[in-house]
Amino acid sequence: MRGMPGNRRGRAGLATAFCALAAAVFGVAMWNPGTVKAAAGGRTGEHLIYASPVELLFSPDGARLYVLCNQSDEVRVLDGSTYSVIKNISVGHEPRGFSLSPDGARLFVANSWDDTLSVIDTRTLEVVATWPVGAEPSSVVEDRRAERLYVANRISNDVAVLDAQTGAEEKRLAAGRGASYMTASPDGRRLYVTHIYPNPSPHRTPPESEVTVIDAASAEVVDRIPLRSIAGVFHIAFSADGRLGVVAELHPKNLVPLTAVEHGWVMEDTLTLFGDDVGDKTVEIPLDDLESHAARPFGVAMTPDGSRMYVTSGGSEIVTVIDVPRLLRYVRLNRRGIAYDLSASGNYVVKRIAVGHDPRGVALSPDGRRLLVANRLDDTISVIDTRSDCVVSTIALAGPKVISALRHGEQTFYTARYSFHGGIGCANCHLDSTFDGLQWDLEPDGLGRDIVDNRLLEEVKDTAPYKWNGGNPDLPTECGPRTEKYFWRSENYDDLTLADLVLYIRSLPARPNRWRLPDGQLTPAQERGKAIFERSVDNFGRPIPLANRCAFCHSGPLGTSRKSFDVGTKKETDDSGLLDTPQLTNIALTAPYLHDGSAATLEEIWTLYNPHDQHGRTNDLTKDELNDLIEYLRTR
Amino acid sequence: MSAGARLLAVAAGAALLAPLCAFMPPAADKVGADFLVTAAPVYAPLAEMRGAERFPQGAQLLLAHGGKAEPLVEGFAATADADVSFDGKQVLFAGKKTAGEPWQVWELTLADRSIRKVIVTESDAERPLYLPGERMVWAQRTRHGFQIESAEDGDLPHEAFLNPTAGPGVLALSYIRASAFPTDVLADGRILFESGFPLGQGATPELYVMYADGSGVEAYRCDHGRGRWGGAQLASGDVVFTHGASLARFTSALAQEAPVDAPRAEYAGAVAETASGDWLFSVRPTAGAHYAIELWNPNAPAKSESARLETVLAMSGRDLVEPVLLAPRTRPRRFPSGLHPWDYANLLALDARVSLDGDLNETPASVRLETLDSAGHVVVNGTAPLESDGSFFVKTPADQPIRFLLLDRKGAVLRSERGWFWIRSGEQRICVGCHAGPARSPENRVPGVLLRSTTPVDLTGGSGSLHAAIQNQPAGGNAR
Repeated sequence: MRGMPGNRRGRAGLATAFCALAAAVFGVAMWNPGTVKAAAGGRTGEHLIYASPVELLFSPDGARLYVLCNQSDEVRVLDGSTYSVIKNISVGHEPRGFSLSPDGARLFVANSWDDTLSVIDTRTLEVVATWPVGAEPSSVVEDRRAERLYVANRISNDVAVLDAQTGAEEKRLAAGRGASYMTASPDGRRLYVTHIYPNPSPHRTPPESEVTVIDAASAEVVDRIPLRSIAGVFHIAFSADGRLGVVAELHPKNLVPLTAVEHGWVMEDTLTLFGDDVGDKTVEIPLDDLESHAARPFGVAMTPDGSRMYVTSGGSEIVTVIDVPRLLRYVRLNRRGIAYDLSASGNYVVKRIAVGHDPRGVALSPDGRRLLVANRLDDTISVIDTRSDCVVSTIALAGPKVISALRHGEQTFYTARYSFHGGIGCANCHLDSTFDGLQWDLEPDGLGRDIVDNRLLEEVKDTAPYKWNGGNPDLPTECGPRTEKYFWRSENYDDLTLADLVLYIRSLPARPNRWRLPDGQLTPAQERGKAIFERSVDNFGRPIPLANRCAFCHSGPLGTSRKSFDVGTKKETDDSGLLDTPQLTNIALTAPYLHDGSAATLEEIWTLYNPHDQHGRTNDLTKDELNDLIEYLRTR
Repeated sequence: MSAGARLLAVAAGAALLAPLCAFMPPAADKVGADFLVTAAPVYAPLAEMRGAERFPQGAQLLLAHGGKAEPLVEGFAATADADVSFDGKQVLFAGKKTAGEPWQVWELTLADRSIRKVIVTESDAERPLYLPGERMVWAQRTRHGFQIESAEDGDLPHEAFLNPTAGPGVLALSYIRASAFPTDVLADGRILFESGFPLGQGATPELYVMYADGSGVEAYRCDHGRGRWGGAQLASGDVVFTHGASLARFTSALAQEAPVDAPRAEYAGAVAETASGDWLFSVRPTAGAHYAIELWNPNAPAKSESARLETVLAMSGRDLVEPVLLAPRTRPRRFPSGLHPWDYANLLALDARVSLDGDLNETPASVRLETLDSAGHVVVNGTAPLESDGSFFVKTPADQPIRFLLLDRKGAVLRSERGWFWIRSGEQRICVGCHAGPARSPENRVPGVLLRSTTPVDLTGGSGSLHAAIQNQPAGGNAR
């Protein structure tokens, strides 16, 4: 680059100048976007609780703005015009999604780690009920007749149907894996559910997700829209006339050796379009350019007049603005291969607006004039004027004004700015700091060799060494030079930032285990399974060698001895059968299994991949005993 | 250029390579920083690509400062090719102490005016650019024309980077039988360079990129045709270049170049972007005139008063070229090389049938790798089978020109690469197809060839290559 720093000219410069003018008109100081807030020396070692806004809602009349704060476990109610605080309402733990009843009288909040719904009376702004629901509720929608509540449960992979007045569960509808975000069609007749994890698919085949479509009147699944090659699906939005639906999603390239990040080699950020405006079939379109990405698309909204679409990208810290008529013209003329053409977005993307760290949910004001963006890791809300598509003000939510080292580490985890062309960040594969359900072909071991399943990060701090081959002795090694060279393919963090990133990863707790009884006791089946896990004699009375007992390798509270063993699962493409013993934390959630993800279920580990009892003595077990063992493992 | 502005230009000394001094018109104030230019009686922009001299009558670097332009350094017979360090404190340049010696790379420290020779070579070393990580890149004259080389700075700030050429620490980056010249280091850390198209054999100037370790070489865009050179990146990320009679840009959203609505004129090369977003470039109204340094506002409405060129520096009898701002600038990203310690490379093609050149009429059965020997003769290294999905996986010779040809079942050539490229030692490269273009991202599927074997067919030219090819003939597509 031969230009001077601080250049503000060009199209971006003109836009900036216009935005600055608009900011002045609105009387709000313009926030300087795109800068890392936690500079060296400016952070604190304290453990601070931040608001962490994830979703936004306007009341039907626009008078109130509801802000769902994920870390402070609150709904904050602001004035819809001045953004002054009206009230902070405490809800359950880790609230992830919320919605208003069609009449606006009640606000429903899905508390993901409590497995509850909070029901808030919007007149009194009090929690009037707390109802139990399924495992990790992530979004909630009431039907138009106020008869039923639909709740998407991420861990139980279903949609719970509740009585809207009592909260009594009527039934569960099978959804896809990781059911998380739910949106009603504009006429309220259909509910559309998306999933952050891919559905199970055969080993080394493209992942596939779905949009589960529910008839709101009959409470039945009426369609499953396949999302081929997609893993990691977030919000859905509709045009006001319901003719166009749009899904924000990730298109991973996990089956191709990871030799580069350029040209969409690791991950593409795409939208899937569906509905009458695009015909019978869905159309996938890229958000990325040739040299820049819109990493981790999450929130999406369409203006009431159908002219503009807005998509947040958490990793890129931007909002992408799409000209909808141009988009529709383009997809009608070019239906094939758009998803793999990085020059396609030039035909419909009209602007990229820089916002804060990890922008998530969006809300359009009822008149469509303002788009509000929840910047989760900044505790701010960007206000975008939809006529100029400029940030005209930034609302700072109450909370700590200093950045803790932990927070800085989390910002680092969620940004894509360190990778080549901003293509990926840690959170691309560790969705919401968990995993992605995918297997990857990393380049250093050879192309097509040593395929590795992505492991969960929960409670990872005491499980060193890292990698399936145990090659990285600690997290700084795992996340530092190795990541720079083989993942980001670009200059990495400085040492301070790496230290903060590691601090954040080490802080990740295990989510509540849904298979354990509330009092910590085990069910009879789990007790039987525990006995099998710990046994020293097989069903024929023969002693089981120490190294062939489950509890030997999977020892300790995390279920790992932190040593490597050959359990007979080496494939032709593996360089070694010696594998690090994985921790068992929440193992029920992390299918598929084994180092390369070849076992689709826990059961397959022993029924298909343990013919010689190398992976524990299990071939003497009956079907029922194996089920008991699995029941016990689910409690880990 | 306005006539008035022309009148403001002051004639410099007439003697060849005599110290030059000029006063600048008021437009110079708009630049907002001091700048460097190369002044020469004659400038032939693309001459070196043909093996000739860009500055056949010599050249001298000038520092435009405080309304005057004066020689940047004294005691040189010729100086050119200035590049300012990221902190704005040093200047790399090509220089000759005497007219008869080759161009060498020197560094000037502005604070104390000290000068050090950073490369000692027996042939011309030109066009130096700073790289992140205390490295530099330049064009080194070799028996195959100019090749791009790179090196790390030494520990002692006033000692030579390197001594002698091709000694320890020198990393050759380009490996073609044609000249290549670095023109900019992009914000993403890649090196932008110009060479002929088709690469390694063509004469049409084209812009290419590679990572800082020489891996990943490719054309910046694949809408080949008109010659383009003098590429430089703007703060926006766009790359602006010239066709000679016009300017154009590459922008992230487009797979093709986009025109720049600049005044009709002849443009010498790279643009320098000022802090206010104006462009400083070397331009002349017609082929017979001399190049001058002009300022232009690329955001002004076309044909408006503010859209015209404003002369910043002009000198009678001199071409003024290669303007460079003397100011700190954003450091590009450092590229972490992941090359393996091998003397070969691996290449995986996902679907060799995919090409911007269109569909093939016949399904290819195999791929042939060719290279060039030291005399420039084509050498066939062997063939590898193509899977039914179009994929192939081969072990290739590294650090030398190679190309691939698709063959039918009878061995007839269905399609061949137009030029040559290289893969670095230890590089594992994957291509979506053969000439698929940078806009094409891969489909997410396991290439059929990796389901058959993860051992590449050896096409390095060793004794095992043909044997390996025969051993890996298609066997009916029964991928395991």
